[in-house]
Amino acid sequence: MTVQSIRYRRIMYRWFRPAYIILVPLSLIAFLPFIWMILGAFKTGAEIRQIPPTFFPKHFTLDNFRTVLHDPNLPLLLFYRNSAIIAISNVIQVLFTSSLFGYIFAKFRFKGGNILFWFILATMMIPSQLTMIPGYLILARLHLINNLLGLIIPSAIDPFGIFLFRQFAYSIPTDLLDAARVDGAGEFQIYRRIVLPQMGPALATFGLLTFMFNWNAYLWPLIVLTEQKVRTLTIILTWYSTRMGNKYHLTMAAAVLVIMPVLILFMFVQRWIVEGITMTGLKT
Amino acid sequence: MSLRRRFQFRGINAAQKRFIAMTVIPLVLYMAFWTLFPLVWGFALAFFRYSARRAGGPFLGLGGDNPFVGLAHFRAMLDFSPDAPLNVRTFHIGVKITLLFAALVVPLNLSITLPLAVLIESVHRRMRPIFRTAFFLPVLAPSVGVAIMWGYIYHPQRGLLNAILGKIMGHMVVINWLGDPRLKVWGIPVALFALIIAYLWQDMGYNLVIFIAALQSIPDYLKDAARIDGVNSWQMFTKITLPLLMPTIQLTAILTMISAFQVFDLVQVMTNGGPKYQTQVLLLHIYNYAFRFQRMGWAAAVSVVLFLMTLTISLIQSRFLRAQWEY
Repeated sequence: MTVQSIRYRRIMYRWFRPAYIILVPLSLIAFLPFIWMILGAFKTGAEIRQIPPTFFPKHFTLDNFRTVLHDPNLPLLLFYRNSAIIAISNVIQVLFTSSLFGYIFAKFRFKGGNILFWFILATMMIPSQLTMIPGYLILARLHLINNLLGLIIPSAIDPFGIFLFRQFAYSIPTDLLDAARVDGAGEFQIYRRIVLPQMGPALATFGLLTFMFNWNAYLWPLIVLTEQKVRTLTIILTWYSTRMGNKYHLTMAAAVLVIMPVLILFMFVQRWIVEGITMTGLKT
Repeated sequence: MSLRRRFQFRGINAAQKRFIAMTVIPLVLYMAFWTLFPLVWGFALAFFRYSARRAGGPFLGLGGDNPFVGLAHFRAMLDFSPDAPLNVRTFHIGVKITLLFAALVVPLNLSITLPLAVLIESVHRRMRPIFRTAFFLPVLAPSVGVAIMWGYIYHPQRGLLNAILGKIMGHMVVINWLGDPRLKVWGIPVALFALIIAYLWQDMGYNLVIFIAALQSIPDYLKDAARIDGVNSWQMFTKITLPLLMPTIQLTAILTMISAFQVFDLVQVMTNGGPKYQTQVLLLHIYNYAFRFQRMGWAAAVSVVLFLMTLTISLIQSRFLRAQWEY
């Protein structure tokens, strides 16, 4: 056996494993719904109506995107803005409260502290549908229906975040905090200048997860936001698709515009999202 | 050293006390108002006939036009006669469909994702992220987008699925996957299967990455030792990998089931419970009765039932699975 053939064999073994016979077709099938959506967005209305449907568009057209972007009922930038306001505000406040209270529950012994922590943990078990109706009634009384604040104010605390950051804060040496106290740092300053920088990686992964959950949320925005001008992207997408009915070329163009930009962004930071999920086992 | 001791002996000083008071008191008030209060209100609503449109009594609109009905909602749920009111009959369908949905989703999900994770782990390190992305991408997409994509795939005339079937069969296939109430397999509506496939497609990535992480945490020396003992790869999987993964499998089974109980987005967008309530899951029933038909008392009672269902089954499941692997 020549050296050459051994090398070939090693390369063959590296790139061709029996697993590929299953994995390659399966992953192509997994991509198929995305491809079907994207191809549909480039077909003409006449081609969409054709029976049986074509797979690849006969002639690519960008008209669908033009129609969707020029639809006065569908100011996409406004809906991007609404989704972004909700998601970014919630990320900021959840990261702030989670890191602050995680730190406090880890590093301070105070009366009722443990009971409070376990109570917060227990609220994780409460399914959202149980508080959905009264939550809506409270917002209605505060006149926060059809107001983006209605999706921000009630979501300042994430019990899971507090739990996660408490675990993280334990690893910060107490001596470091005491040293800062001796140097005359105020308590909030210690949190801001010493604790927070130590939590960098956890802030990044948990922030991304929170952003993704908020960006993709559907049920709660559906209940709280019923007026056109405050709707989020997910709400507007279903609204548009029901209005368009069988005009799938337009629905798919809208879907591509709504889904793809952020999906591609998520794809690039996928590693941290995966890390967040495996670290926490968190689910929507 | 003496400084440290001083700090230890002093415990919490005045500045720290102030810091804790300034942060924890708002937290307590916030949790009381946004978590505890809605929870109590939610349970209370289940005992009233309540609509947000009626003024009702002075306290939270309870009483008056929104009368206290005691256990009437729960008693009504036990009316299994064919001439029970529509909300009761559709509630029964909802319980059945939700249980069926979860009972099909959990085993299907685990039996796809676990082997898939093993397969992905078996290929070259540099190829893994490509395959992982392929199966994980749907997790990142909004479920509403997923619902719209799959609605287009299932469309009777314009959809991809019928087109592919038509190519294979050699003649045109027009099956209304999501809308034909007569289509059933083993008594289970086809529309429900169609939803389950879309749901699995979107949800698989979660368990996949959890399993991949769990597989990576299995120490190499165990595998090496087994290999030296002449174990083949099937035995390796059943005798080494599987037992070590049992805690992870148990956790993912419970998580998958809880989220399957809460399925809403896909169903609401793709079928809205149809055809003929065949895919009307409980959360959709709750949403419709609370926010479309304004019968919030009834909807709150159903929420309590859904909560109890989730709780009971996850308790049973954790017991059952633990019995299997702790020997």
